This record gives sequence, structure tokens and C-alpha cells, in this order.
Amino acid sequence: MSTQHQPLRIENLSKIYTSSEGSQVTALQEVSLDIHAGEFVVIVGPSGCGKSTLLNILAGLEQSSSGQALAYGKPITQPDIDRGMVFQSYALFPWLSVRGNVEFGLEQRGLDKTQRRAVALEYLQLVGLSEFADKRIHELSGGMKQRVAIARAFAINPSIILMDEPFGALDALTRRFLQGELLRIWRSHQKTIVFITHSVPEAIVLGSRIIIMTARPAQIKSEVSVELPYPRDTASEDFRALEQQLYAQLDEEVARTFEMK
Amino acid sequence: MRILKYLMLKLLPFVYAITLITVVWQLVIVFTHPHPSILPTPWATAKNFITLIENGSLFIHTGASLGRVFSAWLLSACVAVPLGLIMGRSILLERILDPIIELFRPISPLAWIPLAILWFGIGEAGKIFVVFIGTFFPILLSTVAGVKSIDPILINAGKVLGCRSHFSLFRKVIFPAATPNIMVGLRISFGTGWAAIIAAELVAARSGLGYLIANGMEILRADHVLVGMIMIGLLGVCFDAFFRFINRYLTWQA
Ligand SMILES: Nc1ncnc2c1ncn2[C@@H]1O[C@H](COP(=O)(O)OP(=O)(O)OP(=O)(O)O)[C@@H](O)[C@H]1O
Ligand SMILES: [Mg+2]
Repeated sequence: MSTQHQPLRIENLSKIYTSSEGSQVTALQEVSLDIHAGEFVVIVGPSGCGKSTLLNILAGLEQSSSGQALAYGKPITQPDIDRGMVFQSYALFPWLSVRGNVEFGLEQRGLDKTQRRAVALEYLQLVGLSEFADKRIHELSGGMKQRVAIARAFAINPSIILMDEPFGALDALTRRFLQGELLRIWRSHQKTIVFITHSVPEAIVLGSRIIIMTARPAQIKSEVSVELPYPRDTASEDFRALEQQLYAQLDEEVARTFEMK
Repeated sequence: MRILKYLMLKLLPFVYAITLITVVWQLVIVFTHPHPSILPTPWATAKNFITLIENGSLFIHTGASLGRVFSAWLLSACVAVPLGLIMGRSILLERILDPIIELFRPISPLAWIPLAILWFGIGEAGKIFVVFIGTFFPILLSTVAGVKSIDPILINAGKVLGCRSHFSLFRKVIFPAATPNIMVGLRISFGTGWAAIIAAELVAARSGLGYLIANGMEILRADHVLVGMIMIGLLGVCFDAFFRFINRYLTWQA
């Protein structure tokens, strides 16, 4: 089957870190996964299992030890503006204004100054921050910062967006709000999203498919296609049932994480 | 109005310091009666200050010192900042250069003055060399520190946002992220450069504030010495204030 139209394909991917003292940590072991256009794939797994490692390899920020990751059929060897990324710690540039941050990647897309301004404004409007365009990053709250980071990632119009626990540092209310925003943007912009989280409810609220990873070395334990319609009702019986099922699987893996020590 | 008030608040400590120094100075004269060629009165020194301004020599000497320190400092920055940016990112280059730098760093720029005279004579090149040595290490080390303190996640963000070449990463992420540290290095090194140029001029020069002081000693004119010293102090304070002022506009730190 042709992989040319498939946003991401992961083939037998392994990653082994060697520390400076020579000891080895296997972060990923023989992971294979196909991600299709328009999917919202959520990855959950015990802390330290290798989720960020996987995402960084997909971004092209790290290299695999064996196996490969493909984006639209081509091996991923370095970052590409067609794969955007949103980091847990926002990673905004503090020397730029809000607008400057959103415009950052647009220069690389070859837009001139007026075009950049217009696009930045459009995406700031999308996340409800157009009035804050000229503010400095340190003047924003955590939730606002993450909205800027989302606007910055979407503004370059990548077809794939990788998100590593983007809402992990936010309070519950802001988190709920941003989940809604993200779903709205995802559905209106036809992106493929790979999203890492520690939160089972967040995984079910967002994901069209949920991948559960094992304890380190990370492998895929199981996956669930979530058929519930958006926006998902967290109080519904189906939601609760799925939640129980996921918790049961994750509890097993978290227990294994502690046994390893 | 607010600017005036702000200036008043900033200047008040200096008014106090100058008053105190003048009073102590005058008291020393009242109690010890030194010969005016050794310690003139504040009043006589002030009059000499005016005279030296009027006959233009203070401007010439100040201009000479400033010209040297400024050009050497700029030259030093042009070498030290790019080198520091690369050193901060390259472990190999750091391993190669760090031991050399560690050996040179403890040698005061003043210790280079004799060699500078032997190599370059008493012309401009020697003095620029001494100031270059004195300003180079503070700029280099603070640039390296600035690059090393950059959160790696910002570099990753730069990469995923399309900085594909090393150059664009340096220009768009590493340099701006390191500017607060670089500015500190530039400010501190201007101070060390200012001290070094005076010392170099004391030893070998025909102009400059250092020369004014050294010459004052030779012709027994303590009032010339004092005017030179006062000018050095005043300008030092002005540079520091100037750097702090532009710092607020040039760097992003909250
Ligand atoms: N640069 C590195 N060098 C050595 N080991 C590393 C490196 N990065 C990650 N690891 C190790 O690889 C394993 C997986 O790390 P990773 O950050 O991918 O986990 P994670 O699933 O994202 O964890 P969390 O959920 O806590 O963010 C960990 O044991 C970690 O110690
Ligand atoms: Mg992680």
C-alpha cells in the first residue's frame, strides 16, 4: 500500500539512550503505528515510558536507533515546517511580542511582512488573543501562553501537529476550555494531530483514537477507536465505561513501572 | 515633569557623594596645610577644571581616551560575540579554547602594557591592543554563559518553526536569547577597558586622560592630576548609566 498520502507511519521504531557512563536505557522498543489524515491520535502511558521520545522522533528533533518514521512516505530525518509542535512548557520566545511569536515561522514560509501580519492576526483571533498582539510573553497567564503557542504552531499551516502534554501545566478550568478550542480548530482546519497526555479523561474528550503505551521500554499495549460523537459528554455512561477500561490498563503498566525499580 | 523628578532622584545620591568628598577634602587641607602642588583646594581644582575646558585640552585628552577605548571595545565585541556564540554551542571548540582562555584570563590587561610597548611602540596600536585584551574576556565569557543558559526547548522550537540552517538558528533564536548576558558583558568590559586605557596612557602616551595625569605628576601640578581623575570618574558613571538605559530598550528581560 502506498504511504505517500499517509501523514505518519512508524515502522519497528526503537530508541536506545546511552548515558555518559555507558549505561543504556531503552526508551522505545519496536513501535509500529500508522496515523491517517485527519486523525486525532492521543497517546497515554506511564510517566517516563518514552512518549516524548516518540514525539521528538516524529518531529525530527531526535534520531531513532533502529526502525524508521515516515511522513508522507519520506523518512523523517530533521524538523520540517509541515510538522508543527506544541510543547508543555510553551517554549515561546520571550524577546518577541505575542505577534512576533506567531509570525516567527511565517518568514520561513516565505511570506512578506504584510502577509505575515495578516496571518498572525487571523490565528490570534482564532485563539481569542488578537487584543494581546503587542503584549510581551511575560505579561500573559499560562493559559494565554499556551494559546499563543497553539496559534504559532497552526499559523504556519502544517498538516501535522505534534503536542506533548500541552495542557499539563494548566488549571482544570483553563484546560477544559482549551480542549474545546483545540477540538474546534482541529475540526475546522483538517489537521492530523498527535497528542500526548497523562490524563485519561482528556484523552477521551479529544481523541479519535487512543494509543496506550506500556511501561518502559515503551511498546504499544493496545489502542481504542473512540466512536463517541464530539463534543463528548464526560458524564455519559459510554464515557465512564471507556474511562474505567483505560484506567485498568494504565494501572497495570504504572504498577510495572514501580516494580522495575 | 515626571522625567525631571526621576532625574532628581537619580542625581541626588551623586550630589550627596560629591558634597561629602568636597567637605572631607577641604577638611584635610584645613588641618594639614599641604603645598598646593601636592593637594590644591577643591576651589582651585574647580578653577583649573574650567581653565582646561576653556583652553580645549580637557576635550582633546578625553576625546583621545574615548576614541581608543571605544574602537578597541568595538573591535573586541566584533570578535568575542560571534566566537562566544559558537563556543557556547560547540563542545569541541569549547574544549579546544577553554584551557587557553583560562590561562590568559588571570593576566591583567595592565600586565600586557610592557609587551604592547615593545611590539607596537607608543602609538595607537599598542593602546588599542591593551584595551582589546582587557575587554575581550568579559565579553566572550558572558556570551558563552548566555548561550549555555538558553533553554534547549527554545532551540527545538526554533527548529520546528523552520530554522533549518545553523545561521538562521543563531540569528533568530540563539543570539536574541543570549542578548541579556551579552549586554552585561559589554557593559562590564567597557568599564575594564576604561580602566585599562588610563593605565596604558599613564605609561606610554602623548595624549589622553592618563597622559594628563602622568604629566601633571611630572610637572608637579596636582590640580591637573585631580582634574584628570575627576573626569575619569564622571565618565565612568555616565557610561554605566548609559548602558543601563539602553539595556532597557535593547534586551527583553522582564
Ligand atoms: N536525552 C536523554 N538521554 C538519556 N536518557 C533519556 C533522554 N531523554 C529521555 N531519556 C530517558 O528515556 C526514557 C523515556 O523518556 P521520555 O521523556 O520519552 O518519557 P515520557 O513518556 O515522555 O515521560 P513523561 O510522561 O514523564 O513526560 C526515560 O527513562 C528517560 O530517562
Ligand atoms: Mg514527556
